[in-house]
Amino acid sequence: MNTAKKHKWLSICLAALAVVSLASCAQEDPKNLISREDGEKRAVNLFSPMEKIDPDAENVARTASDLTVAMAEEALGMTMVYRTYTAEDYQDKTYDEVCLDRARNDMDDLYLLNPDAIMALGAEGKLEDLSGLDSAKNLREIIRTANTVDGKLVAIPQEVVAYGLFVNKDLFDRYGLDLPETPEEFLECCRVFQENGIETPVGANRWWLETFVLAQAYADLYNGGNTQAEIEALNSGEARYSDYMRPGFEFLQTLIDRGYIDAEKALVSEAIEAEGPDFLAGKTPIVMAYWGAANTETAYGKTDFTMEVIGFPSSQGQMPVMPMTGWAVCSGAEHAQDAMKMLDVIISDEALQLYSEANRVISPSENVKVECVPALKPLNDRIEEGVYVLGSNAGMNVEQWGNTCQIVRLLLGGASVEECMAAFDELQDTALNQP
Amino acid sequence: MKGTPNKQKKRKGLSLLFSIVIIFGIFGTIVFAVSRRIAEEMSDAAIQSLSESLDLIQSTIEAILRSEAEFQTLIAQEIARAEDPEEYIRAYEKNQTMAKLSLILLGETEGVSNTGERFTEEGLDFSAGETVFGLPVSRSYLNYMGTWSYTIKCPVERDGQEIGTLYAEYVYDAIDRSLPDGFYNQEASLYIMDAESQRFVLKPKGMGQRSAGHLNLADFYRANNIQDPEIRAEVEGCLSAGRNLLFYHEIREVNALNYMWAVNGGTVFLVGYVPVEAIQKEGRTVNQSIMIVVASLLAAFFLCIILYYLNWRQQEKLRREQEEERRLHSQQLAEALRAAQIASESKTTFLSNMSHDIRTPMNAVLGFTTLLAKDAENPAKVREYTQKITASGQHLLSLINDILDVSKIESGKVVLSLEKFALNDVISSIDAIIQPMVKAKGQDFHLEVTGVRHEYLVGDATRINQILINLLSTAVKYTPEGGQIRLRIIGLKQRSSQYEHIRIEVEDNGYGMTPEYLKTIFDAFTRAENSTTNKVQGTGLGMAITKSIVELMGGTIEVFSEVDRGSLFRVDLELRILEEEADRRFWEQRGVSRILAVTGSRESRENMTALMQDTGVRLDACATVEEAVERLRGGGDCQMALLDWEDFGLQGAQSLREALPESVPMLILAEFDAEGREEALRLNHTDLLAKPFFVSALRAKAGELWNETDGTGVPEAEEAGSLAGMHFLAAEDNEINAEILTELLEIEGASCEIAANGRLAVESFQRSEPGEFDAILMDVQMPVMGGHEAAKAIRALDREDAGRIPIIAMTANAFAEDEKAALSAGMDAHVPKPLSMELLKKAIEQCSKREETG
Repeated sequence: MNTAKKHKWLSICLAALAVVSLASCAQEDPKNLISREDGEKRAVNLFSPMEKIDPDAENVARTASDLTVAMAEEALGMTMVYRTYTAEDYQDKTYDEVCLDRARNDMDDLYLLNPDAIMALGAEGKLEDLSGLDSAKNLREIIRTANTVDGKLVAIPQEVVAYGLFVNKDLFDRYGLDLPETPEEFLECCRVFQENGIETPVGANRWWLETFVLAQAYADLYNGGNTQAEIEALNSGEARYSDYMRPGFEFLQTLIDRGYIDAEKALVSEAIEAEGPDFLAGKTPIVMAYWGAANTETAYGKTDFTMEVIGFPSSQGQMPVMPMTGWAVCSGAEHAQDAMKMLDVIISDEALQLYSEANRVISPSENVKVECVPALKPLNDRIEEGVYVLGSNAGMNVEQWGNTCQIVRLLLGGASVEECMAAFDELQDTALNQP
Repeated sequence: MKGTPNKQKKRKGLSLLFSIVIIFGIFGTIVFAVSRRIAEEMSDAAIQSLSESLDLIQSTIEAILRSEAEFQTLIAQEIARAEDPEEYIRAYEKNQTMAKLSLILLGETEGVSNTGERFTEEGLDFSAGETVFGLPVSRSYLNYMGTWSYTIKCPVERDGQEIGTLYAEYVYDAIDRSLPDGFYNQEASLYIMDAESQRFVLKPKGMGQRSAGHLNLADFYRANNIQDPEIRAEVEGCLSAGRNLLFYHEIREVNALNYMWAVNGGTVFLVGYVPVEAIQKEGRTVNQSIMIVVASLLAAFFLCIILYYLNWRQQEKLRREQEEERRLHSQQLAEALRAAQIASESKTTFLSNMSHDIRTPMNAVLGFTTLLAKDAENPAKVREYTQKITASGQHLLSLINDILDVSKIESGKVVLSLEKFALNDVISSIDAIIQPMVKAKGQDFHLEVTGVRHEYLVGDATRINQILINLLSTAVKYTPEGGQIRLRIIGLKQRSSQYEHIRIEVEDNGYGMTPEYLKTIFDAFTRAENSTTNKVQGTGLGMAITKSIVELMGGTIEVFSEVDRGSLFRVDLELRILEEEADRRFWEQRGVSRILAVTGSRESRENMTALMQDTGVRLDACATVEEAVERLRGGGDCQMALLDWEDFGLQGAQSLREALPESVPMLILAEFDAEGREEALRLNHTDLLAKPFFVSALRAKAGELWNETDGTGVPEAEEAGSLAGMHFLAAEDNEINAEILTELLEIEGASCEIAANGRLAVESFQRSEPGEFDAILMDVQMPVMGGHEAAKAIRALDREDAGRIPIIAMTANAFAEDEKAALSAGMDAHVPKPLSMELLKKAIEQCSKREETG
């Protein structure tokens, strides 16, 4: 290009720049200075637990859940308002108690409920029937079974929560121990650990020791091929819950007696807060927790040792325990219908795919499949085999998850196994006497 | 001193750089100061804005609390007036603000609630002594609805007597309904904290992010990593004193204003943070705008610098070009001046030389004419003197011819006359001219022709002759006696099939030239030595003429020379090839299809084969006589044989002759002065063929042998006819010339009538009888009427012989153009002065022949 041409182009560019600059100065002032906004946004109140926050860790589970909520907000043009409660200590009301209070007083639209609250509120008719939602059609049968109360599907989870034993495989290997299959093998492992200077081999809190009991109590019931008949026997009073529960309580008693569990500490400890640091430090070889803890950095998502998640010891081998938490809509709430719509989006296949991929969990939808992290493989294998125990079952007339937790606390507080069994009998009798 | 300008330049550059740095420094400082001031003002504005917002929220909450307290007092008064206060309570329905209303009558520990159950003060903690407008307020607690609440108690007085205590439970959610849906575009976080328990009792909807520590103050600080002991101490101080607190702290890597704002005298606190950017949105825009303005200014500044630089570079380039042009111009002028000076000097030298060179023969002429007058009676002396006068005259003539040639070439008036010629003819004539010269100086002259494929060419043979003569005569001149001179004609690889690429090399082992002289050898008016001090005579124009002719022919000339080792002149020419169809027919007509050639040199054999290639004659080349004899005995057929004399001599010639059939002629290839060649000629049917070998020469010789003439060769100089008995009309204005002419014609037995100019000549012819004059000899430049006009006038005369009488131009204007002009004027021939009788005779004879043939 010759110089004259260059100059010509340069002049044209400068002129264009000048025109654009001048044009950008032009502006028309609106008469009304308040910008027009879309109509009032509808809001749905969600009551859910929130963990205490570690400033250095990202909470994956919350992030995944938030993503699905954001999806619903965008799809429906609504806003989800978060309300929460966390007990400051064991003396405070529990989250479940607060949930019951709030739901009974129609305080919130949506609740994230534990199995006992689902059972209780469902029985009271405080929860909406969700079976009509489009997304509910994709649910696995186990989800439907566990969350149906009086023929109504009252709650739907975003993940199938499975509890298992989180073990420090390196410590097991160091002492030449195989991972335990039965209660006896478990006790033997604890003995070896204790002999080798680990005074309290099992880290526990006031919430999750019930999983040992449930695994031993119902391993045969759920995996013996006669499930329905056995449940009917229990509901009719022909069989006693205490008979099922006894071996598990005796087992816990042994753990307490031999010092494999620190009962006093467990009774006042919140989940993960108390036992987590020692487990992560390699001092405690065994803790119990839910599936998501293996994926979450705030829990056990990042360990310096080889961690594996296995089922609880039982007569049927390693046994995953699966209670059903879930989202429920309060039927008397101000925005119940909007909450139903939100929930329909939150548990849609698309949202569950997003959720499951973020958290690497088992999805309640039959259509969503995600690979789990390696540590969870032993637990996942059992679930895939169809071997597990339900932590809660709305089909049983005595709520399992919450009641067992409460009665285990009695044991931790010094009650005998017999006293604990009497408590179960009382619950069963009360249930049988209800119209 | 040499480094000074550089140093100055460097110093200037440094001071310029320093100035730029200073300017930028000042500019940067101003921008920084302005930005900082704006930032400070924005920070103040942010603090003020947040304070105002929090004040507003505080006022709202306090207004709610006041209303609650006032409302409760009113109810207490109502209850006091009621007949059954407990019934009043039971009938009271709960509402959104008041979750529970209870009454304990004075003196009792248990009372009633509007929710139906019995009520005690158990679980309510009034120990902190906090109040709402004078009414005691309990510590916050989680009520039966699972939501945070507080209870205000109020005495129920009837007639000034307290009859009981009214307890009203209020839920914090009621406050939420009176607060805006978030502030600072929902980026701000806000909790309401119960001061006593430090529990967060309400997070109003739309306030802040979802993942903040939400449990209590400790959880909030832990979640947001606010661990600075000083801040924590300040917080404690504010909590106990019910003061407000604002401080900057990064929340998840975002700078934020954190606050604790006392409500109701410190019973409740507003706790949270606001990202500074959320408050200073306009500030960020202002900062961005400043940055954009600064960036635009900088961009404009640099753009200006770039434009200035480009312009400066352009100007500088232009200036340099002009300077270069001026320098070139000056240089050219200087060179031209120098050339003019040299030319002037050369011409001065030349004139001086010429003066000398012309005077020398002129001196001889005049001297000998004096002697001639003195010794007129002595015929021997007269002959000697006239011979010397003739020699001097000839030299003078060549000198003048050269000068004229140069002037013509320089003025671009030379035109090449392209015509067919045979290379052999050119070489033969050159050989004939040079041989006597080299013999006279006892030099050895050798002629070689190699690689030439075509010898019939088209070109200006005269000028080629001139080139060769110039080069060779120079070589002869500048080579001492006994020296060697080589002429090589080399056929180079053809660049085009239509042109023969010929290289002419003239090499000698003479004096050679200095490198300085080599540079000027082709310039006119130069000579190796000044003629006044050197015995070598010449005009010094030969080389200039040669170069000009070569270049006129599209060729190149080079010279290589070393002092005392000799010189080599190399001329490359491309000459158009002439079709040789006639040549092929010539051999066919004579039944010659095979020629036996015997030569020891492989190069010669190849050369001969190449030359014979297009003739249709097969050349059987043998390296030895024996081989040739063997071939003949073996039945080899041939119509002619060639034998190299230098290689085989007489013996070889005899052997070959014997082997050849009687009828087959044998030609001895020999240089023209080869010794003993006469003996060979005695052999039967044997003749000589001059070296170098050329087909044209062979053909001419073959023609002779077959007793024919083909007419294609150069015609032999014929003996010119006699002028005896002829009578001429001569127009000549110069009396001496007229007298010379008269005398010369008389010597030839002819006579003439002289006319002093053209007009007189025309008149004389007009007066004459038809046939009185055999021809008119016409000078060109004459007074009154010139030769051309006179010729035209004669041709225009109304006479029967006016059109056919031969008019011969006889002039000192001796160039081709002059000849052409003469012919155009109606003349028949052109004879240059000084007059050569031979040429005159030839011209007259040609005219006669033309007349005869009609």
